[in-house]
Amino acid sequence: MLRLTNLRKSYGNIVAVDGLSLEVRRGEVFGLLGPNGAGKSTTIGMSVGLITPDSGTVEIEGAGAPTTDSVRKHIGIAPQALAIYDDLSGKENLSLFGRLYGLGGRELKDRVHRGLDLVGLLPRSRDRAGGYSGGMKRRLNLAAALIHEPPLLLLDEPTAGVDPQSRNNILDTVRDLAKAGKTIIYTTHYMEEAQKLCDRVGIIDKGKLLCVGTVDELVRAYGGKSAVRIERGGKHERVETDAPVREISRVLAHAEAGEPVTGVHIDQPNLESVFLGLTGRSLRD
Amino acid sequence: MGAFTGIRAMWAIAWTDVRLLLRDRAAAFFTFVFPIIFAIFFGLVFGGDAKKGKIEIAVVQIDQGSLASEFVASLRKMDGFNFTPVASEADGERIVREGKASACIIIPDGFDRGLENIFATGKGPEVPVLVDPSKAGETGLLQGRLMEQSFAMMAKSITQPDRMKKQLQQARDTIAKSKDVDLSRKLMFGTLFQNIETFVNDANKPGEDGKAVIGGDALSGFSPMQFEVKDIRKQRTGPTNAYEVSLPQGIVWGLMGCVTAFVSTLARDRQRGTLVRLRSAPVTRWQIVGGKAIAGFVSCMLVQWLLIGIFAAFFGVRVPNPPMLMVATVFSACAFVGVMMFLAVIGRSGEGSAGFGRSVILIMALIGGGTLPVFFMPAFMKPVSMASPFKWSVDAIEGATWRGYDSQQMFLPLAVLAGVAIGGFVLGSMMFRRAMRE
Repeated sequence: MLRLTNLRKSYGNIVAVDGLSLEVRRGEVFGLLGPNGAGKSTTIGMSVGLITPDSGTVEIEGAGAPTTDSVRKHIGIAPQALAIYDDLSGKENLSLFGRLYGLGGRELKDRVHRGLDLVGLLPRSRDRAGGYSGGMKRRLNLAAALIHEPPLLLLDEPTAGVDPQSRNNILDTVRDLAKAGKTIIYTTHYMEEAQKLCDRVGIIDKGKLLCVGTVDELVRAYGGKSAVRIERGGKHERVETDAPVREISRVLAHAEAGEPVTGVHIDQPNLESVFLGLTGRSLRD
Repeated sequence: MGAFTGIRAMWAIAWTDVRLLLRDRAAAFFTFVFPIIFAIFFGLVFGGDAKKGKIEIAVVQIDQGSLASEFVASLRKMDGFNFTPVASEADGERIVREGKASACIIIPDGFDRGLENIFATGKGPEVPVLVDPSKAGETGLLQGRLMEQSFAMMAKSITQPDRMKKQLQQARDTIAKSKDVDLSRKLMFGTLFQNIETFVNDANKPGEDGKAVIGGDALSGFSPMQFEVKDIRKQRTGPTNAYEVSLPQGIVWGLMGCVTAFVSTLARDRQRGTLVRLRSAPVTRWQIVGGKAIAGFVSCMLVQWLLIGIFAAFFGVRVPNPPMLMVATVFSACAFVGVMMFLAVIGRSGEGSAGFGRSVILIMALIGGGTLPVFFMPAFMKPVSMASPFKWSVDAIEGATWRGYDSQQMFLPLAVLAGVAIGGFVLGSMMFRRAMRE
């Protein structure tokens, strides 16, 4: 659906994206995971034609580069910075963005209604967006990306700084959209979201794409071993193992001889450990 | 994307920007309300308001006779007019030319004699009235009132038997001395004048109700004075009303409010994600720029004509040449759209642009006659003011109002405004496009 080939973009001496190549398949939810400043938003910007790459190409399957109006109709974007007008109501915001995509009349009204309903803002549709909570604004931002019903959606940190209720609503909406066959590129630095939502994940750091695969594949390849943490006599022990259950059994069997064990935990490898394994840093550093 | 869809998208952007301006209470206040308050305040400061509502009329009394003085005194009692005595006909004409009075009434030498001989000559004295043709309504009203006043004087003559007898005697004498009238006619006129005298004496005796019997339509069709209206082409060398000076200043503040508001709107669009949303839509950069420019233009026109309408309707500001004023406001609006486009993108960040834009626009307004009219400025400031588009906007608007510029005189301010418009728009939209490309 979307093919990025050897993209490069720098701002002065700072290289934001460095030779990034990626292919997102039709109908999949692709997570672009990386810390702040990793190059996720620049990649998204180049993917929709907002940022001109220094080199490399972007191609939307069957349409071409996203620099022409006809190709842009295939893309919906929910930017990280809230792209809504505070002094317009939710309904007015969506009507405006719909008009930009050539919608009008009954069709526009229906789309606006459906969009507001989808993100749970119908009861507040006539209120100015400036009076919405952060989460509601994020939901409106998402609805604005959907108004023209594009097959490709780019959601840039759509849950940044939102309350749990809005987060759940957004995640549910993304799942519904995925079920409806939309191709979604989802950038986040919340690994839990990526693990829950994404069919495949790409990990990006310092402008480079470090790896791509399903969550399981990445965890197996780069996540390292599971770890068993044992609390005994006020002390913590950490043992890395491929067989954590067996390790716990062994520890408990020997426990009667010595000091009693007060706690046992298993740390399964996840995307956080994948990132740690690949970069030596935490995602939230 | 079809052309129609593109235009529709452009209008959607423009309408949104205008709506955002109107919904931003502070911006709307400084764009639409503050300029009105400002212009009224400075109008009061510059000119006071004592004679508001009165029509200024100059009176030149050449004949110093009792009837002439009585007529002038009666004029001064007329409501709605402010009669100012003037020494000579030339002074009266000058005052009308300068727009300081709507008309000048000249009480000529021989006014008294003309009235006294009214029965002998068959017509009253000729009274020239010099009028400003652009004030047809006011001068029409004046002519009606003058006619009314002349009949009142005539009626007064009839109700004063002594004056009437004197007039009849003069008429008898004139006819008696005339060589062109034969004896039989002289006898006939003598009988007629005797009968009139008897009628006047009897008429002024009180009737059964205690009132004199003279009145009604007996004098219908007769004019005791001949008012000769002469058009004086006005030389607009100065404003006749302080609000004519403060109006362009108010417009400057209105335009400043518009520019500041739209620079902020564009800056906010850049700062927030809304510009990203606009750019990711299937609309061209020119359409985005065009939408913003239309919004700025509409707002600039709205604020200018709101002020012009209010000041023409309620503060006596003249709009002698509406098409010329329309041209002036269109050019001003275009120029400030250009300024707006340029200032909105000159800073690296949205906030930087807004702050810089506000400062620049304030300085331009101050040196361009925003607070102190340019013609009040000290000599060294006048060349400096030429660097401000506000100066040229004020010049064009004044030219189309109280300065009464012809199209040749309007050329320079309009050309400068057009240059600012084209330069600002081209430079601004190029920078805007570049800023959008990142």
